Amino acid sequence: MTKRIEGKRAVVTGGAGGIGRAIAARFAAEGASVIAADLPQDAQVPDGVTYYQVDVTRDAAVRAAMARAEEILGGLDVLVTCAGIEIEKTIEETSEEEWDRVMNVNLKGTFLACKHAVPLMRAAGGGSIVTFGSYDGFIADPNLAAYCASKGGVHALTRAMACDYGPEGIRCNAICPGYIETPMLQSFFGHAGDIDKLQDEVRRVHPVRRWGQPEDVANLALWLASDEAGYASGQLWVLDGGLSAQVQQMRL
Amino acid sequence: MAGLSGKRALITGGGRGIGRAIVDRFLADGAQVVTCGRGAPDDLAPAVFVTADLTRQQDIDTLARRAVAEMGGIDILVNNAGVQIEKTVADTTDADWDFLMGVNVAAVFRLCRAVLPIMSGSGGAIVNLGSISADHADPEMAIYNASKGFVHGLTRSIAVDHGAQGIRCNAVCPGWIMTEMADAGFDLAQDPAAARRDAVARTPAGRLGRPEDVANLIAWLCGDEAAFVTGQCYTVDGGLTVATPLRPTLF
Repeated sequence: MTKRIEGKRAVVTGGAGGIGRAIAARFAAEGASVIAADLPQDAQVPDGVTYYQVDVTRDAAVRAAMARAEEILGGLDVLVTCAGIEIEKTIEETSEEEWDRVMNVNLKGTFLACKHAVPLMRAAGGGSIVTFGSYDGFIADPNLAAYCASKGGVHALTRAMACDYGPEGIRCNAICPGYIETPMLQSFFGHAGDIDKLQDEVRRVHPVRRWGQPEDVANLALWLASDEAGYASGQLWVLDGGLSAQVQQMRL
Repeated sequence: MAGLSGKRALITGGGRGIGRAIVDRFLADGAQVVTCGRGAPDDLAPAVFVTADLTRQQDIDTLARRAVAEMGGIDILVNNAGVQIEKTVADTTDADWDFLMGVNVAAVFRLCRAVLPIMSGSGGAIVNLGSISADHADPEMAIYNASKGFVHGLTRSIAVDHGAQGIRCNAVCPGWIMTEMADAGFDLAQDPAAARRDAVARTPAGRLGRPEDVANLIAWLCGDEAAFVTGQCYTVDGGLTVATPLRPTLF
């Protein structure tokens, strides 16, 4: 079978763990040269992936990371901005520092990575940016206020970038995951008294009767990165097993 | 890539336009295909073509039966067939209403109803052709726009009601795709060529869509890679609807 993004050069922020790691692995398996960029000094990354340390909240660091990507990969065709954090609090409980931290990683981090990737993509004659919004950018999870707001910001930024850079052949789309099995979801389950009961309930409320895996998200990221998605831009691709297609269910 | 190898697909309106591109793509990806249309088709072999008037319940029953007979079952349904009427509400007749709703609304409902029991044993994927027009009104396309709103609502309902049976249901919402239907839309303009240039200028992708752009997404949605995707209305419009209609640089 032909590899689907053979020869493409990709950077995945947040690429050391969770969804980002699955995307980096899948991209490498489908023929791309991949740099996974993440916060830890060192990280074990999948075969065929190069690791690079970056703090996405700092302009100089992101600028240096993109320069390094150009050096290592010879250019850039695909950027996936997967770095993200959540703080499980209402706004009253959220300190100014916590608010800034969430906005800095989730929204400013996306802005900076895209800002410094665009010139490389322009030089390559075009490219595909995949940002990470969330279904929480459309509907609220309780006690996740700053996170919800940051993802709404990513959605609007994604549309704006699609509008501004489309004429240069740069597509920009956001993936908006629902419940995906990551350390973030484990943390959510960890807050429940009876994890088995909670997990059963979470399965049942999904029309497809399961929560998602990072590989489900990697499948969509791969499609959006590939030339098959050549006319797809500016969209917010909700990927949630049908969760948000339904209204809240009453217990009858 | 043979991502649909062994899948059995019923695709309505496969004779031309987007439907033809879907049929070609599914065949290339290894699917078996039964399709239908109103008129005599070009050769679509190895796809099986059935002549059907989708406004007739009888034809829909025949189509579903024929698909099962030809393929031994149905794993994928693509409700592609659709018609548009370029009129405001004030100008739309009851005959216009009955015809358009018969194809874009009733036939989509009836085909889903016919196919769901066939899929319920082993699961399946339904993709309906929605439209950007469901959420952003195209001028002088009143009941067409409304019919696509129905499609989006039905899509979510099927996803929610039949997900537990392993059936996924999504809609694809094309923007301006180069088909005869788009030509008819541009022909409404005083200067169709200028309207086309304006449309391109308003599209971040810098071009109008091709039927293949839509077929690419439908092929992905019908494959196992999209196993966690259901209840969604995914737009492929080159970025058209992300930007405001008020663009001073285009005045």
